[in-house]
Amino acid sequence: MRTWPPIGIAAFLIGFVVIAAWPLVVQDVFYQRIGALVLLAAISASAWNLLGGYAGQVSVGHAVYFGAGAYASLVMFTQFGWPPIAGAPIGVLVSFAIALVVGTPTFRLRGHYFSMATIAAAELIRILASNWPLVGAAVGLMGPPVPRSIWDLSFISPVPYHYLFLAVLIVLLALTWHLQRSRMGYYLAAIRGGDRAARSLGVPVLRYKVYALLLSAGFTSLAGSLYAIMVGFADPDSTLGILVSVKMLIVAALGGAGSLFGPLVGAVILIPLEETTNAMFGGSGTGITFIVYGAIILLIARFQPGGVAALWNSILHRRQARVS
Amino acid sequence: MFLEAKDIVKAFGAFRAVDGADISVAENEIVGLIGPNGAGKSTFFNCLAGDAEPTSGTIRFLDQDLTRATPEAHARLGMARTFQVPVTFEDMTVLQNVMVGAFLRHPHRTDAQDKSRQVLEFTGLAHLAGSPARSLGTPGRKRLEIARALATEPRLLLLDEALAGLTPAEVRLAIDLVRKIQQQGITIIIVEHIMEVILSLAERAVVFHQGKVIAKGAPRAVVDDPAVVSAYLGHHMKRVRM
Repeated sequence: MRTWPPIGIAAFLIGFVVIAAWPLVVQDVFYQRIGALVLLAAISASAWNLLGGYAGQVSVGHAVYFGAGAYASLVMFTQFGWPPIAGAPIGVLVSFAIALVVGTPTFRLRGHYFSMATIAAAELIRILASNWPLVGAAVGLMGPPVPRSIWDLSFISPVPYHYLFLAVLIVLLALTWHLQRSRMGYYLAAIRGGDRAARSLGVPVLRYKVYALLLSAGFTSLAGSLYAIMVGFADPDSTLGILVSVKMLIVAALGGAGSLFGPLVGAVILIPLEETTNAMFGGSGTGITFIVYGAIILLIARFQPGGVAALWNSILHRRQARVS
Repeated sequence: MFLEAKDIVKAFGAFRAVDGADISVAENEIVGLIGPNGAGKSTFFNCLAGDAEPTSGTIRFLDQDLTRATPEAHARLGMARTFQVPVTFEDMTVLQNVMVGAFLRHPHRTDAQDKSRQVLEFTGLAHLAGSPARSLGTPGRKRLEIARALATEPRLLLLDEALAGLTPAEVRLAIDLVRKIQQQGITIIIVEHIMEVILSLAERAVVFHQGKVIAKGAPRAVVDDPAVVSAYLGHHMKRVRM
């Protein structure tokens, strides 16, 4: 594969140091919290990227898996008094089940039809959750009001979350890096390039789509659990709403879908923007968020369909062309 | 028999695109499928490749029934194909495109890469290994599709108009490549419009007309067959003989 140019290695190292040192350098809790939220958004967008980016199957229903993770954590607490993190593996298993039952049939559809089917499935599950007393119906669920032990992972400061999320993100990106160099990575790229050609070369298309979906759903669910643990609350809109799905897509597409660091770059740009507009305009700010998302979709589609990653690559190529 | 298709029918509603076609192919020969547009040869070809399921009939390849097998099962058994309109993986480099094919028999990346480099050398694409597939023109794409198919290490290669849209000079290069592939012991079925290609390459030609096989045999004999001439080759014949 391509070797990294020095400027790429430099950007990687500087980026890593800034992210790792952020909450220690910045003392304001507002900005520390943004740091943790950036990493959380990067985890869910990177998880989405496995299916939507690498395999090119643009899901707009990943909130289902995010919500499954969030609710699993809190249901384990409200029903059995477990620490919410103990519900994370349950969330992953539930997500696998949903992926197999709801996700796999949608693979019969291609392109936009696939995307629309994922929206429909996610909305259906959001409505079911809104009417199901076990998961708190429309009101939602709360986590432990006061931490009972360290295992509740309930901290006032965002700093511990920052490092927890960073660790998960590193594991996810290391796995993604390994995957994109392996046979599976090539097969997913072939599927993105075209089912028919991929199958003619012996790629079991449906099987690999399902693998990508399971991996993607599992990590999205983990992101949902981490969200519920940090926020201590989950309701249908904030964990199963369409905005949750759209956000994963936009973060990944903004940075560059199908690239390793694209989702992280997208999160670094979008989350601070979103949090500051929310803070500036007060209230929930969801109206403004929708407008910002819409504007970003338009700009990406019009000017840079490959996201920041493609922009970065084209700048690098121009540099290399000049050098050689 | 190496490949045998019997009584293949492919119907779309009431319309029979392929209407009881037979073909048998021996190992290591080159067979040309010809016929006017809409004769059903492409549909028949897709049935052979597993891309379309025949309405009735049987297809046997290497003593296995492949009539209803998936395209990926065809690839595993040693049947590879190219497409009439090339479908290269645009986001990937030429080498990566070929590696997708090579991964079928070489699960490890370095092995797949070595195999792919050999195939690129063989097909004369080695100097383009690192270029993005989208930078190739039509001849490059067609050649890349052949390379990608060869990387799956097929016993039978199905070429769907692999030479259409090429200039005469490019056609000659492509003919040389097809001959080289045959010398590797690979059997080839080629759908082609260009008579020159069929006459100079194929050992046998099978002529389709309205979903049926109307003639088969040596290409020279077939193009002189009155049924074939009246079906479509009339005006082509004059050009060929000039």
